[in-house]
Amino acid sequence: MGLIEEVFTIELPVGESFRIQRCRYKGKKSTKRISIVSGIHGDELEGQYVCFLLGQWLRNNPDKILGIIDIYPAINSLGLDSITRSIPFYDVDLNRIFPGSKNDFLPAQIADGVVNAMRGSDLAIDIHSSNIFLREIPQVRIAKSQEDVLVPLANLLNIDFVWVHDAVTVLESTFAHAMNTIGTKTLVVEMGVGMRLGKAYGQQLLDGLLNLMACEGILDIELLDVRFPMQSHEGEVAYLNAACPGLFVPVIEHCQIIEKGSVVGHIVSALSGEVMDEVIAPIGGMLFTIRAYPIVYEGSLLGRIFGEKQ
Amino acid sequence: MRRFDIVTLESPNRAPLRIEGFLFGEEKSKGPSVAIIGAMSGDHINQLYVASGLVEYLRTKEEEGKIIGRILIIPAVNAYALNMGEKNWPLDKTDLNMMFPGYAQGETTQRIASQLFGELKGYDYGIILEGRRDQGMCLPYVKLIQSGYEDLECVKDLGMGFVHYRPHEPVETAMLQYNWQLWETKAFSIVFGKNGSIDQSISDEVHTAIVRFLSKRNMLDFYVFEGRKSNILDPNRITVLKASRAGIFISQVACGSPIKKGEVVGVIMDALSGKKLEKMLSPCEGIVTCQYSHPLIFQNSIAFRIASVELCCQIDTKRK
Repeated sequence: MGLIEEVFTIELPVGESFRIQRCRYKGKKSTKRISIVSGIHGDELEGQYVCFLLGQWLRNNPDKILGIIDIYPAINSLGLDSITRSIPFYDVDLNRIFPGSKNDFLPAQIADGVVNAMRGSDLAIDIHSSNIFLREIPQVRIAKSQEDVLVPLANLLNIDFVWVHDAVTVLESTFAHAMNTIGTKTLVVEMGVGMRLGKAYGQQLLDGLLNLMACEGILDIELLDVRFPMQSHEGEVAYLNAACPGLFVPVIEHCQIIEKGSVVGHIVSALSGEVMDEVIAPIGGMLFTIRAYPIVYEGSLLGRIFGEKQ
Repeated sequence: MRRFDIVTLESPNRAPLRIEGFLFGEEKSKGPSVAIIGAMSGDHINQLYVASGLVEYLRTKEEEGKIIGRILIIPAVNAYALNMGEKNWPLDKTDLNMMFPGYAQGETTQRIASQLFGELKGYDYGIILEGRRDQGMCLPYVKLIQSGYEDLECVKDLGMGFVHYRPHEPVETAMLQYNWQLWETKAFSIVFGKNGSIDQSISDEVHTAIVRFLSKRNMLDFYVFEGRKSNILDPNRITVLKASRAGIFISQVACGSPIKKGEVVGVIMDALSGKKLEKMLSPCEGIVTCQYSHPLIFQNSIAFRIASVELCCQIDTKRK
């Protein structure tokens, strides 16, 4: 049974406290520590389910625990309980305010509290669900500067895709960047879609977490037979953006292999009954992202395809 | 004056978004040029008010033949959000001022930023009217971030009391001021007011400062009174006073008030029992530059920012 602790608390104005809780499972043979994090965005719930599955597994297998496993299912607890992505009241994206500060407004203080609670962890896994607009296959995204350290860890996580992207300065304000900067190897997982949970993806990532922890000497179990993810450097990512506003109606399912030139969906007008645009795959490959929320403006992301370099 | 659309964007169901510009002065004027950006967020009402007030003011000055430079004013970037009480882009909640320099092939708000930025490139000066990103209100001040291309001298011509001059944060690399500076426009922000509201005296102060700037920088042929000598501040010169408890917050001073060390500046009461939880005392002598403006306050929230006489004195003495 894990020990539930409050790692950050702050009074709210009217008879309530904002709190961040963790459940700590502690073995006796190693001080190696991993933090499993979810709910930095209040509309992303896949991570909560993974936290439940992991907690359930650990409760059933206490004798397998060697190191320290901290589970933080709800960082933005106000947002999670109110279907709000950002920090309510301030309307600030918590994942653009790290590492935070004690001498700044509430969201920055929360970020500072999160970093301090996890400071000293050897590893952290930050689980996101995409947002409500896009559905994603389980993937890890890594800044190019951290590729050498993090890709080998990501390959253990039983995910489908490792996406190494160029460094973007604005992402220096994320939780993952803040933790990597202070020496905690931190991976960002994206999977599923906002405001929903997928049981299969949850189970898939649970197996990956168990495998990672076994490899890192945090769990005393056999390594699992996990899938090896597609690697972004082996191909290219093509973006499908809406050419006009309307209602996007996909004609193929998520996570399908498609050919160059095939129809991904249509943008239609609810008012006139016209098909405004036919969305065509610019390359062949895996449709690893697809739009889940149908209303689109010009430029709205409809999907991403990972395929061979042209 | 030429009124024209800078960006138009069709919507699935609403009327199209239009970002309108108001251009004063001759297209081929050899005088300096400035672009002034109003509300980028849906709660920047004071910024909208000042920008639209400038449009009307400059319209009359143009009729009098007083415009000698080229002046573009864009009162509202995010009219969609303003028209429905939203802060950000209403569909995906992205902040337009986090999308610069934009990307013409990217997502909707990247495309809007790209088109807008295309229009803004090439101006000599860029003025961004900004609200606050927290639940605060403040004295009007100039925010000038250090990109390596900033121009501290020109902002002094506004004659405003305070210039906050500091290194940029990572998140600011996606903002207009930073990118505009990189494209060699002398860009800065004027931060003022309380989001979602209009303060007439603050609006007048900002309006006057911009008119002074236009005059001193040879874009407007019009006599102006001298402003203040600007105090250049950085975060090391500011003392923050935080609320040790949460509850109902009653401020007892106004922004701009000079205060003494130990002076009572605010009170926090228990929101349910009414009991007084904290009497907030100023930790230093100085001027209140900014304060929390919502009646309900969170524990550890910054209730006041005070330009500290002692800190400024220490820093200036060391430099000498």
